[in-house]
Amino acid sequence: MVERLLNLFWILLGSGAAWHAWTLGLRGPSGPESGLFPFIASCAIAALGLALMLARGSRVTRPDWPDAISGLRAVGVAIGIALMAFGMDRIGFVAAAAIAMPVLLRTIDRASWLETALLTTGSIAAIVLIFGRLLGMPLPRGPWGW
Amino acid sequence: MDALSGLAMGFSVMLTPANLYYCFLGSLIGTMVGVLPGLGPLAALALLLPVTFTLSPIAGLAMLAAIFYGAMYGGSTTSILVNIPGEAASVITCLDGHQMALQGRAGAALGMAALGSFIAGTLSLVVLTFFAPVLAAIAIRFGPPENFGLMALGLVCTLFMITGSKLKGLLMIALGFLLSSVGMDMVNGNERFTFGITNLTAGVELLSVVIGLFGISEILLNVERIVQNTLVAERIRKLLPTWSDWKASFAPILRGSGLGFILGIVPGGGPITASFMSYAIERRIAREPERFGKGAIEGVAGPESANNAAVAGSMIPLLSLGIPSNPITALLLGALIIQGIQPGPLFISQRPDLFWGVVAAMYIGNVMLLVLNLPLIGLWVQMLRIPYRFLFPVIVLLAMVGTYSANKNVFDIWVMLGFGILGWLLRKLEYDIAPFVLAFVLAPLLEQSLRQSMTMSVDGAMILFQRPVSAGLVAASLLLLVLMVIRQFKTKRGDS
Amino acid sequence: MKRHSLKVLAGLLLSAGLATPALAADPAVAKLKPKDFPNQPIEYTVVYPAGGGMDVTARLLAKYVEKVSGDKVLVNNRTGGGGMVGHTWLATQAKNDGYTVGVVANLLWGDAILRAQGKWSLADLEPIGYINSDALIWLVQGDGALKGKSLKEIMQIAKDKPNTIRIATVPGTMWEYLVEQLEANTGAKFLRVPFQGGGAGINALAGGNVDLAQGFVAEFRGLAEAGKVAPVAVAASARLPHMKNLPTFNEQLGAKEYTWQVVRYAVVPKGTAADRKAYLSAAISTAMKDAELIAEYSKAGVFFDDALMKSTNVARDINAYAESERAFYLKTGRVK
Repeated sequence: MVERLLNLFWILLGSGAAWHAWTLGLRGPSGPESGLFPFIASCAIAALGLALMLARGSRVTRPDWPDAISGLRAVGVAIGIALMAFGMDRIGFVAAAAIAMPVLLRTIDRASWLETALLTTGSIAAIVLIFGRLLGMPLPRGPWGW
Repeated sequence: MDALSGLAMGFSVMLTPANLYYCFLGSLIGTMVGVLPGLGPLAALALLLPVTFTLSPIAGLAMLAAIFYGAMYGGSTTSILVNIPGEAASVITCLDGHQMALQGRAGAALGMAALGSFIAGTLSLVVLTFFAPVLAAIAIRFGPPENFGLMALGLVCTLFMITGSKLKGLLMIALGFLLSSVGMDMVNGNERFTFGITNLTAGVELLSVVIGLFGISEILLNVERIVQNTLVAERIRKLLPTWSDWKASFAPILRGSGLGFILGIVPGGGPITASFMSYAIERRIAREPERFGKGAIEGVAGPESANNAAVAGSMIPLLSLGIPSNPITALLLGALIIQGIQPGPLFISQRPDLFWGVVAAMYIGNVMLLVLNLPLIGLWVQMLRIPYRFLFPVIVLLAMVGTYSANKNVFDIWVMLGFGILGWLLRKLEYDIAPFVLAFVLAPLLEQSLRQSMTMSVDGAMILFQRPVSAGLVAASLLLLVLMVIRQFKTKRGDS
Repeated sequence: MKRHSLKVLAGLLLSAGLATPALAADPAVAKLKPKDFPNQPIEYTVVYPAGGGMDVTARLLAKYVEKVSGDKVLVNNRTGGGGMVGHTWLATQAKNDGYTVGVVANLLWGDAILRAQGKWSLADLEPIGYINSDALIWLVQGDGALKGKSLKEIMQIAKDKPNTIRIATVPGTMWEYLVEQLEANTGAKFLRVPFQGGGAGINALAGGNVDLAQGFVAEFRGLAEAGKVAPVAVAASARLPHMKNLPTFNEQLGAKEYTWQVVRYAVVPKGTAADRKAYLSAAISTAMKDAELIAEYSKAGVFFDDALMKSTNVARDINAYAESERAFYLKTGRVK
């Protein structure tokens, strides 16, 4: 089911991209224009998606989908990363990591509060030290200056 | 000055406590940079460039070159242990290296990676010592048609890498092509597929794609089943490669060295392409290619040797002609210029102390890195014992910061997440993601070279066949392609 | 020796980010220092990759600005899109709190006028100091078919045998504009081979893959000394002080409009507080007076535009140059 959706996605992606590539122009005065290579690639994607849709042999017989609990763990990781990405510019690296790390540690696989606190502070400190001081790459600061 | 006396001079310059110290410092930092996922040698060198201002030119260069090498050594560590590439040139090591770790052979994998890197690094330096000017003169003649030939050959090699469904593999290659065209067209400056999003004007960052597709997807897959506490349940066996490992790896190391060295010299090659092509070749000529992807040590020895040899290769145009063949050597060039040194064809005769000093520094650096990395294997292997629930959040954090370090742009973290989810899905549905990465890396250069070649010539694409080297490379690619297709049909017919 | 290396290790570990005790700052700069500023490193943004000409310029400047102001300056490369990504970031996202200074070149103007598509304009970035200039020079192979020919002769060949001389250009930049200008005015026709940057074109020239390349002194000096490439003419308004034998385009072709140079200067995002802006500006201009910096820059082959060096209002003068570039775009129909 999911695989069929994916194949459909390939077909749509390929077709859409091919159309956009067409608008960029395929051939110019001195050979290929901007659109030619993407056009070929997109057509290939659409065609291969169609072939995959039709060919039974390449479909995965029983994909190893996670059950609800395991799946939620993966979703949790994704949310943790998203929180980090969202927060890094707005509240600074330290604050964003201080929120994201406990999310990862507590919700994915229940680490105790002590372990969470230690690991969070330890890793944030290490990163600020290595990147901020040793390598000289300042990490984003929040509105409070740190 | 002939090569041996030059080398002697170089060693006499390098063998002072201060210079050795900076070489060691660079090796240490380079290894760390390689191990940290996402943080690559380019970002690290750019960050540490100011430090070299206060040092003497030779100390500064020795340090920077050691960081470059160190990253190639260290990058395989996380690839093998946790299936997360330390940087783009170590992606391919994930495939077999991690499988070996899961079978309890992490030590052998790490050891072979280090030893292969050392052998390749030293061998390529020996060739550099005696043949640098000659090779440089050949490299400079590599123009757009030759580049195209080389990229085309590399692309055919991607086809060898496809395991499983051929259709899915081809789709991944096509997807790599498509995604690499997002951004500005290199040839005429038009924006393609950016839809007005400024962050896409520069294209999709390779590092985000690699870390996301391999690293984040790996974590997403692993957290599903935190049934076992640690990554590796098997008892960790010997820490070093066995005699049979050596027998299997010997030829791949030599092949990888040669391949990597050549790919390092030419513009558009480099460690990433070298490691991928080495893997593809090893898989193609192995007697039992089914072993690849399941813990074949050749799949670690070859690519790791190739990416180290590429470092020495890329130093040749830099030192012999003052021409950088990739962004990292461009940065080294900048470091030299800031120190008031003008590299160029006369560099070797005007500043033999520096030229040979850098070469000596690289020999010494390779030894230092081997000495540094081998004992560390025991330490790294213990990392596999850390409960995963502690390990993975730290890795995620490091990966995010490392990815951020490339462009200081949070957008790259979003890209990393997006590709992580995509990678998760693709791996569930048994798509092969390695060919995607190689296509993503090769496609822009392939396209640019072809279009430049066609502009340069009056006969359009015929120029590819008018010049001997490019004609040879293109012919080789076509031949390999035809052979592959024939083989494919033979097996199909054999089945039915 | 051991103590020295320990000190350096300590320095390395404590370097970036730590508020270094203020070294003796130049008094002219120190007296303009606003309260509580800066309390973190200042970022000098370079929109081109590390190691390139712009990057080297910025790092040398940063080194001397640190010297005269005692503040920590970190050079950061925000690359991509031929500079477009970095320019856009500076104009739209960089905070105007005085901690971001852009080290840019006049290539910014092309991006602002032709490619920004209304999202930002030159008004979003205020010039605060002039750094140096570099003029585009045409090169031929040291031992190629065009060896020893003057610019006039080369133009004649390009007219008589159109599309036979291959020249390396960088699309969408002055590398291309110069060729276009020449073709339009003289009727010559070159075969334009596109590259990502000037350096790549020079490499191609050294390998015999093109017949003409365009670049700056820093990019080809090593090759020129070894005789692999030879300069033909410079697109400046006057002969370069360190290359008195090199004729200018205008001399050779009896014209006045062939001046294509890179003007490097510093900007801050619009709206930066006046006192911080003045402080940053003073730091740069004081650093620019340091004889050592001038010597290092001169070694890199740049020159210093007299008018801008002596200017009392750098922002006004640089913007005047920008307006003349806009006029070129209007004239050539790139902008309506």
